[in-house]
Amino acid sequence: MTRSARGFSLIESIVAMAITLTVTAGIFGMVHPARRTTAAELEVADLQQRLRVAADALSRDLLLAGAGSYLGPHDGALGLYLPPVMPSRQGATGDDPPGAFTNDRITLLYVPPTAAETTLLADLTPGSLTMELAPKAGCPGGANLCGFARNLSVLVYDEHGNYDLFPVESVDDGLSQIIVSKPPDALSTTYAAGAKVVEAVSRTYALRTDPATGSLQLTTYDGTYNAEVPVVDHVVRLSFDYFGEPLPPAISRPLSDESGPWTTYGPKPPDSTVKPTAYPAGENCAFARDADGEPVPRLATLGAGPGLVQLTAAQLTDGPWCPDAANANRWDADLLRIRKVAVTLRVEAAAPMLRGPAGPLFLNGGSARGGLAWVPDQEVRFEIAPRNLNLGR
Amino acid sequence: MHGVPRGFSLLEVVVATSILVVGVAGVAPLLVVASRANQSARNTTLASLLAQQKMEQLRALEWARDPSGGLLSDVDTDLTVAFAVGSGGSGLRPSPAGSLDRNVDGYCDFIAADGRVVGGGSVPPAGAAYVRRWSIEPLPPDPDEALVLQVLVTRDGSLPMSPEDVRLTSIRVRGGL
Repeated sequence: MTRSARGFSLIESIVAMAITLTVTAGIFGMVHPARRTTAAELEVADLQQRLRVAADALSRDLLLAGAGSYLGPHDGALGLYLPPVMPSRQGATGDDPPGAFTNDRITLLYVPPTAAETTLLADLTPGSLTMELAPKAGCPGGANLCGFARNLSVLVYDEHGNYDLFPVESVDDGLSQIIVSKPPDALSTTYAAGAKVVEAVSRTYALRTDPATGSLQLTTYDGTYNAEVPVVDHVVRLSFDYFGEPLPPAISRPLSDESGPWTTYGPKPPDSTVKPTAYPAGENCAFARDADGEPVPRLATLGAGPGLVQLTAAQLTDGPWCPDAANANRWDADLLRIRKVAVTLRVEAAAPMLRGPAGPLFLNGGSARGGLAWVPDQEVRFEIAPRNLNLGR
Repeated sequence: MHGVPRGFSLLEVVVATSILVVGVAGVAPLLVVASRANQSARNTTLASLLAQQKMEQLRALEWARDPSGGLLSDVDTDLTVAFAVGSGGSGLRPSPAGSLDRNVDGYCDFIAADGRVVGGGSVPPAGAAYVRRWSIEPLPPDPDEALVLQVLVTRDGSLPMSPEDVRLTSIRVRGGL
């Protein structure tokens, strides 16, 4: 046998095995924590993306809140007629009761760029589902109601503080009629001929427990019979603070003028002999009349101005009520003061194995034992001054 | 087969194993890079939201005309407290030159790492992680009508800006948007 065919000696084998074992052990020792770190870093990136999506969705709709009609009568920002920002869920299903205040729910209302804007031609009585609409001028092809379509949401409002969002069931262009379905709280309101009818978007943001996983998610609801849809998963905190105008509304131009806005905010008082609501003749939720019959604000002064003041839950739920205190769909006139909304958002890691014990870092505890692979909750605060609530400020 | 099959020598095995170790060790720093990138993304996100927050506070201040055409300008609101609800501050009063380059009392505030306002003034208080400065400059052609608003959010407060710093610019027109 030649020397080279002898194989390894015992010493050589032992040394080779020792080297192999050391290197393999080293590699395994690195792979295990690396796997955890990889999972954690992926989750951090995902968590931050969820935070950005949630903040972006909320900012976008908050910025638009209060955008109003821009054609025909009753135009201008919605804040002259109704509350575009409500601290509760509003809509056809699961409606919060009048005067509700929940700091983790918000309903925003705005008119998108739309051709669907007209007025009621005849009164809309509580029992009727058919709206007779004034034919629009300038529709192509001689159509009466261009822009209106099935499944659109139309907002109907008048100058006394009544408003409702109706899903459109069908459109009869020849008769200039639309058939709507009626949410329960609209069943007692009569809208007089001349009330505004315009396409509108309602967005309710809220937290809900995801039935599939039991975790909290941010949802949005469109105010109709549709169910709410999830926006972002694993949002564990959502809260809103409201900041508003300390000064009560004032008359900004003579009420006899043809076109408004007549007030700094809120609905203008009716003529002194007219009594459209339970308030005395010539008064509404925003304005009373003094001994001389001049309009005086019904709302309180909350500060010296001009800086904003924080609006408390009590201030937003204690009246005065619009259209009046007996209305099934009443709302607090102080909601019209809102000029800025502050949002707090907190997002957690999806997997419990990446969350440590409940405490300052984790709102909901998880199963992670060591601190190596912890992915703490992230919380942000931002503020939005909706542009249409700050017109003329 | 020519020659005799010899197997690897010990030296060859050691060299091969070293190459393997160096290769695997080279992957490990990638985790550190990923972690830093995530941290940087978080800083940038937070800085953007902080800058947007200040801009919205500035946009919510009164800058309008009364019905008779008189100027209504908020030069009183203190923007250096949380939610900008204080009074006795500088409001929309034009800022001194260079208020984005250094901390000017009344035109900057300090933010903790969790996003809470920890105070104003010109010296960072304990716990400050971000400096937020803003400037308010009347727009030359019609200084009573339009303001240029700028907000700078930075971590270390020095110039030039780092990639994680955020700067926003906007124009405010009296009574308009």
